[in-house]
Amino acid sequence: MMFKLKSAWLLVAALTMFTSAVIADEGKLATGTEAPIGEQDKYASVQETLKTCFSCHGEKGASTIGTFPTLAGQEFYYMYVQLKDMKKGLRASQVMGPIVAGIEKEDLKLMAEYFSEQEWPKTDYKLDPKRIAAAKLVADAGQCAACHLGTFKGNSRVPRLANQHPEYLKNTMHDFKNDVRKNAPAMGTLFKSFSEQEIQDIADYMSSFKGE
Amino acid sequence: MSKFKEKGGGTLIKVGLASLLMTAGLQSAFAGEEVTGGTLFGDMQTVTQDLLDNAAGDANNFLHTNANYNQTRFYPAEQINRENVHNLERAWTFKMDVVDSLETTPIIINGTMYVTSSFNHVYALDAKTGKEKWHYQHKMGPITTYCCGPNNRGVQAYEDMVYMGTLDSQLVALDAKTGKKVWATQIADPELGYSETMAPTIVNGKVLIGTNGGEYGIRGFVKAFDAKTGALLWTFHSIPEDSTGVWAENDATGLYMHRDIAAEKEALKTLGDPYKTLGGGVWQNMAIDRDNNRAYFVVGNPSPDLYGAIRPGDNLYTNSLVSVDLDSGEKICHFQYIAHDVWDLDAVSPPILVPVKNEDGQTVKGVLHGGKTGYVYVHNASDCSLIRHSEPMVMQRDRWVLPTKEGASMLPGANGGVEWSPMATDPNQGLAYAINLHQPMTYHVEETPYPEGKLWLGGAFKVIPTEQQWGNVTAVDYNTGKIKWKVKTQQPMIGGILATAGGLVFTGEGNGLFKAYNSTSGELMWQDQTKAGVNAPPASYNVAGDQYIVVGSGGNAQMNYKRGNEIIAYKLNKK
Repeated sequence: MMFKLKSAWLLVAALTMFTSAVIADEGKLATGTEAPIGEQDKYASVQETLKTCFSCHGEKGASTIGTFPTLAGQEFYYMYVQLKDMKKGLRASQVMGPIVAGIEKEDLKLMAEYFSEQEWPKTDYKLDPKRIAAAKLVADAGQCAACHLGTFKGNSRVPRLANQHPEYLKNTMHDFKNDVRKNAPAMGTLFKSFSEQEIQDIADYMSSFKGE
Repeated sequence: MSKFKEKGGGTLIKVGLASLLMTAGLQSAFAGEEVTGGTLFGDMQTVTQDLLDNAAGDANNFLHTNANYNQTRFYPAEQINRENVHNLERAWTFKMDVVDSLETTPIIINGTMYVTSSFNHVYALDAKTGKEKWHYQHKMGPITTYCCGPNNRGVQAYEDMVYMGTLDSQLVALDAKTGKKVWATQIADPELGYSETMAPTIVNGKVLIGTNGGEYGIRGFVKAFDAKTGALLWTFHSIPEDSTGVWAENDATGLYMHRDIAAEKEALKTLGDPYKTLGGGVWQNMAIDRDNNRAYFVVGNPSPDLYGAIRPGDNLYTNSLVSVDLDSGEKICHFQYIAHDVWDLDAVSPPILVPVKNEDGQTVKGVLHGGKTGYVYVHNASDCSLIRHSEPMVMQRDRWVLPTKEGASMLPGANGGVEWSPMATDPNQGLAYAINLHQPMTYHVEETPYPEGKLWLGGAFKVIPTEQQWGNVTAVDYNTGKIKWKVKTQQPMIGGILATAGGLVFTGEGNGLFKAYNSTSGELMWQDQTKAGVNAPPASYNVAGDQYIVVGSGGNAQMNYKRGNEIIAYKLNKK
């Protein structure tokens, strides 16, 4: 287990060499390891792993980097499924794959539970009012609210998109569109039908919701 | 016109009920009695089987999601009628805790109303004032898998309990007087895509409930549970182990469906029968034929919705009307509307039992179903055979063009010409009332293996944003199949409709309007602007001499209509 964690750290460190956003936030990466986890006993088995998560996903999962999704307050079951999929290789990730490879399912569940219990951080993403009508039309064409709900707050196996970083949303939609991310097949087909502008519209539109 | 004249303070059912019973050929001890308040049936806090059986003639209560076991959604009270509906005003408004998609049908028993909201809250209200008596919030498990909103369509009351299906696929029984949970049982595994949004149907101590999950590769069913204990009594699998069928080339209207049957037969040899993950949810209430001890229900789409190559055969009994024996759950007959569907134009709007004229002009027990194709289908109830289908209620464009990778455009779109929205009928006029959608979509297909409980469409449906959308309210003569009248609405319609002996039909729209139409002509007679989409089926009842119309205004997730949280009751201003 320790070996795996050290390996994971090396990978995170390696990633920072290629990601300017992470390098710019290097100070936070260092201090993040000292963050209190809370409910120490319950999460004792995953405490060290959680600290690894904080290095990219922010303190307690409150990501401050646009390319890394906010995990704090995200849906438990969605995150648990994603972690399992990363472990099984269904959601290929050069970074996350090695991190979760040696973690047992029960600990993956605990990690998901921990992040789901945190408060979603306040962000201030706004969409130019002139773009709202067009963006809503695109989201309605994809019937996004049918699963992600009206304020895109998500539920259970469907992730919250409201207030998520638009950069991450855009990257994710590209990953679906380009068959990089294959663990939600219905999304792949849908995003192949959207143009670049439409994907940008959806990202900006959904991140502007507060999730209430 | 005098038929709809106001009769004073009481709800008079004499003319309307007698006429209804003659038409429907029913027997009732209550025919011809005048209701002027209170109740004919004693203490309503106990919902007896006798009460449920006689709901069609009960102008005080609203005891079934679709009004009665025949699911006619015809309410026999005529206090609110064409002459006075312009005086209809809000009596009270109740705000629920959850602001989200609202599809509940209020159930009213002796002045107590039971309503539900998204995420399985139940409220008991004073039906006269709207004041809360109790509130139950289901403790949801961490895993729910559902398509198209966290909906719930209401409870069923039976004896001293009310019953609800939950998003995490439980059946919960509550004490009707306190709202406290008496028992709960797990219906199926939510991790594999099973969930509940329908109200149960209860008959002779059996709680009947189907399942959602046609978008997740479930194997559909109807289950019967013991109302007292929650013990499972029988299961009817809506997907048989041999789902192959007759290799039908045409749909129920006779239109060719472009199946590559040779390729399907080859695939069957290598893939085997796909029944274990073929979908076929049953997620709307069943009609109950008490005389013959049978249930009639419709079965939803095959999984995956759009990618048919992985599921060769007709995919029985998806997209079908099915009748089963109530004691055993054994199938008696079925009729499939669309074999090997790859458009999600399945069978969802609840079936209705009414006397209909057959091909020879004889009156027989019939079953009506409003199809997602936009046609009303008329069946002989004895063997499920199709007597006729109506004229199309919505525009048809390139129907059964095969989905492509890039997307093939077709009308109706995947939300259909009639969605789950229950139809209403007026047996005195021989009319069925449906609410329709005109919503063009593109159908995209992509090869997709079973994803173990995740959304499994085998492609995507996409609304065409550049094309105009609208809705209709349509009256169809089910004895001829002809459309009698049709009115257009601003948006595609979803939610349901109620007909009354007052010569009216009530239905709501996504823009928040709740309207009453003349049921003979379609003339708009009254409307009220609410704060959210009115996308729930209306109900009616009588307390202390006043007839009420009640409906939920909370919008809809599937159509993304404005959300809200209000139950609104209307009655006449008699000043």
